[in-house]
Amino acid sequence: MTAISRIQKTFFDWHREVPAASLAVYRIFFGGLMLFSTVRFWLNGWVRDFYIEPEFHFSYLGFDWIPYPNAGVLYFMFAILVLACLGIIFGFFYRTAALTFLVLFTYVELLDKTTYLNHYYFVSLVALLMVFVPANRYFSLDVYFGFAPAQKTVPNWSIALLKFQMGIVYVFAGIAKLESDWLLDAQPLKFWLHTAHHWPLFGDLLKQDWIAYFFSWFGCIYDLFIVFFLLNARTRNVAYFFVIVFHFTTWMLFPIGVFPWVMMVGTTIFLSVQFHERILKLLGTLFKRSRQPVPATYFVRPNFRKQVNWMFGIFIAFQVLVPFRYLLYPGNLFWTEQGFRFSWRVMLMEKSGYAEFYLVDPQTKTEWNVPTKKHLTRLQEKMMCTQPDMILQYAHYLQTVYSDTTLYLGDKTFTFNDPEVHAEIYVTLNGRPSQLYVAKKHNLAAIPNDLSNRYWLEDFKE
Amino acid sequence: MKKYTRQTFLILSTAALIVSCKEDEKPEFDRKAMLTNMASAVIIPAYTTLNSSLGTLYTKATDFTASPNTITLADLRAQYIQTNKNYQRCAMYNFGPAMDYGIKIAFNTFPSDTAKIEANITAGTYTLGAVSNTTAIGFPALDYLLYFGTDTDILTKFTTDPEAANRKTYLTDLVSKMKTEFQPVIDQWNGSYQTTFINADGNDVASSCSYLLNEFVQDIELVKNAKIGIPSGQQTGGATMPTYVEAYYSGLSTTFAYESLLGLETCFTGGSGSGFDDYIRDVESDDVTTSLADNILTQFGVCKTKTDALADPLSTTVNADFASVNDLYLELKKLLVYCKTDMTSMLGILITYQDNDGD
Repeated sequence: MTAISRIQKTFFDWHREVPAASLAVYRIFFGGLMLFSTVRFWLNGWVRDFYIEPEFHFSYLGFDWIPYPNAGVLYFMFAILVLACLGIIFGFFYRTAALTFLVLFTYVELLDKTTYLNHYYFVSLVALLMVFVPANRYFSLDVYFGFAPAQKTVPNWSIALLKFQMGIVYVFAGIAKLESDWLLDAQPLKFWLHTAHHWPLFGDLLKQDWIAYFFSWFGCIYDLFIVFFLLNARTRNVAYFFVIVFHFTTWMLFPIGVFPWVMMVGTTIFLSVQFHERILKLLGTLFKRSRQPVPATYFVRPNFRKQVNWMFGIFIAFQVLVPFRYLLYPGNLFWTEQGFRFSWRVMLMEKSGYAEFYLVDPQTKTEWNVPTKKHLTRLQEKMMCTQPDMILQYAHYLQTVYSDTTLYLGDKTFTFNDPEVHAEIYVTLNGRPSQLYVAKKHNLAAIPNDLSNRYWLEDFKE
Repeated sequence: MKKYTRQTFLILSTAALIVSCKEDEKPEFDRKAMLTNMASAVIIPAYTTLNSSLGTLYTKATDFTASPNTITLADLRAQYIQTNKNYQRCAMYNFGPAMDYGIKIAFNTFPSDTAKIEANITAGTYTLGAVSNTTAIGFPALDYLLYFGTDTDILTKFTTDPEAANRKTYLTDLVSKMKTEFQPVIDQWNGSYQTTFINADGNDVASSCSYLLNEFVQDIELVKNAKIGIPSGQQTGGATMPTYVEAYYSGLSTTFAYESLLGLETCFTGGSGSGFDDYIRDVESDDVTTSLADNILTQFGVCKTKTDALADPLSTTVNADFASVNDLYLELKKLLVYCKTDMTSMLGILITYQDNDGD
């Protein structure tokens, strides 16, 4: 079989029936990882730090109408998330659990873009797929209790889509690395690898320039091609070995949290059905219960083929197009960040900034410098300083807070009726000397936060 | 196939050899060594000096209150200046024990609330540690008590004034509080905290490098905003706030600002030992034309010169020679931008716990 026909068979013969074990294993792994991730988030105190403590929340464009939950509701939602994860793992009221997980997880993510991470977006996408795939028809409590019909097979699209989703992440992450900072300067890895210099044995090695280049180039090639080796039955075991080594290394070296585990677990979908069967057998003995006998009656699948084709056709087109939306904007992508999120641009930037915000009363020309610390948490301040849409949001927020306000300092008073908001911001990108990012001349409060080009950013100087 | 493998291996290992030979020219840098140097050669000596200086200040204060006259007043003032200078040299180590005991807030929150100080003296009873008294204690309060008027005015307040006894007690209470509060800080640094500090040699948010860098940057921000910016109206659109200078009554604002720059510079260089400047040079590529470390050092030089050139008292200079103050302010901003963006970015030291996928 040629590679083309193999890909064709994997991806395009969507409605062929394939063994259900792979999907069941994926369900268990995904649920387990999400359980771990949710509990970790909670135990780290991040519910409080990221969602309760801040007085202002950077909402996503078009989602500022989302009601903001209070602390009690937030913790309640996290408790429900934990239950949903358990439901996914055990395949118990599976669809409800998967849908609940999708809605709550995405809802929490939408509350504040300060904490945006590509893998959270990935989790939302996978959760969306998990709602639609019949992952509870095999090795699940739903089958055990008779809530769902038992099936030995599932339609190929349910597995192909999950593979496609992994492939999208890798290939686009690889394409994103085809740029000069990464390939020619080995930045930001050169800086980041250096932070591990205190490690015994490897420390000295890791701070060498050539290692940074090696990691950069290897990472790029790995991202671009690994998924094709995973698809190929002959190479997938070796490829999976590389997956483990690669992500384990990144997990050791960088503070990227559960992302490497998401990838290591996610890629198991590519492994052989025999492997998945073995895992289920092992889990079966763990629960002292032999596998559920699957009734011999053949399950007649309702014919949703057309709908499935359309739905996932749109899903796929969306996924392929969104990362390229940056082409619609002028300027350097890293500098302007127009079309940066939701594009699998991982580990590409070391960006850091310093911002001063001023209120200016247009009539009296009265001015007041608002300390950034006053209204933002440290994480928010760090993120806001380098991301244009957040800068605008913050400026708009200051405008509302200080409208019709009188401030006092000593015996002087400063009155602001409808203040303008100006900012002077400096940013450094991937090791370049810091340069002016936003000049003080713009009234940011009057600039709408939308998808139009951000002309008010200073030009990027190489 | 086998032949190619061997060739590739040969080429790679030769390359590695060349690179590693070249790399050997770089001075060896190690965070732990830097922390050891910072603790033993910079922080602890500076703290020790401050501690004994506070002891002397207390003696001078009791000498003065025992017999208030021009000589004891002059002695006390001289020691106040010395102790304040000693403090400026270590204000930026505001983490660990110093943070636990709230030294920075208790020692130097300015401007002081003179009405509150007077009210406390009149009342004769007060809790100096109360949050409401933050602006009635520390160096700024001493500055007021020792310099609020002419020598005769001051001596009168401490001798024949009906509240003289209360005022004397207040003065010694202030110094005694500082002395008592600082003792455990130096004790802990001489004891277990030193080890804790040196061993936290990672780059995470709870590491010593993160604390050092963060407080270093915050203190530059303090010099820029509180010491120079606010009085010269930078935060308020040009409306100068002369009474907001540090050490308003003694008029020694620029003297103390200069000391604080010296302290910050030492925090950056690690004195003669390993410091952030060496760290930066180690991270930078070999082919960099001007090291960021040199840029920062040059900028420290510029800021020091311009601070030194400013006429004391700053409270009059902000109006009399605004151009020079403004000039210094812009230079301080440049220093801050170097340290808060370029340096922070380069060292990869984390300031928050959040996972990061670099976007």
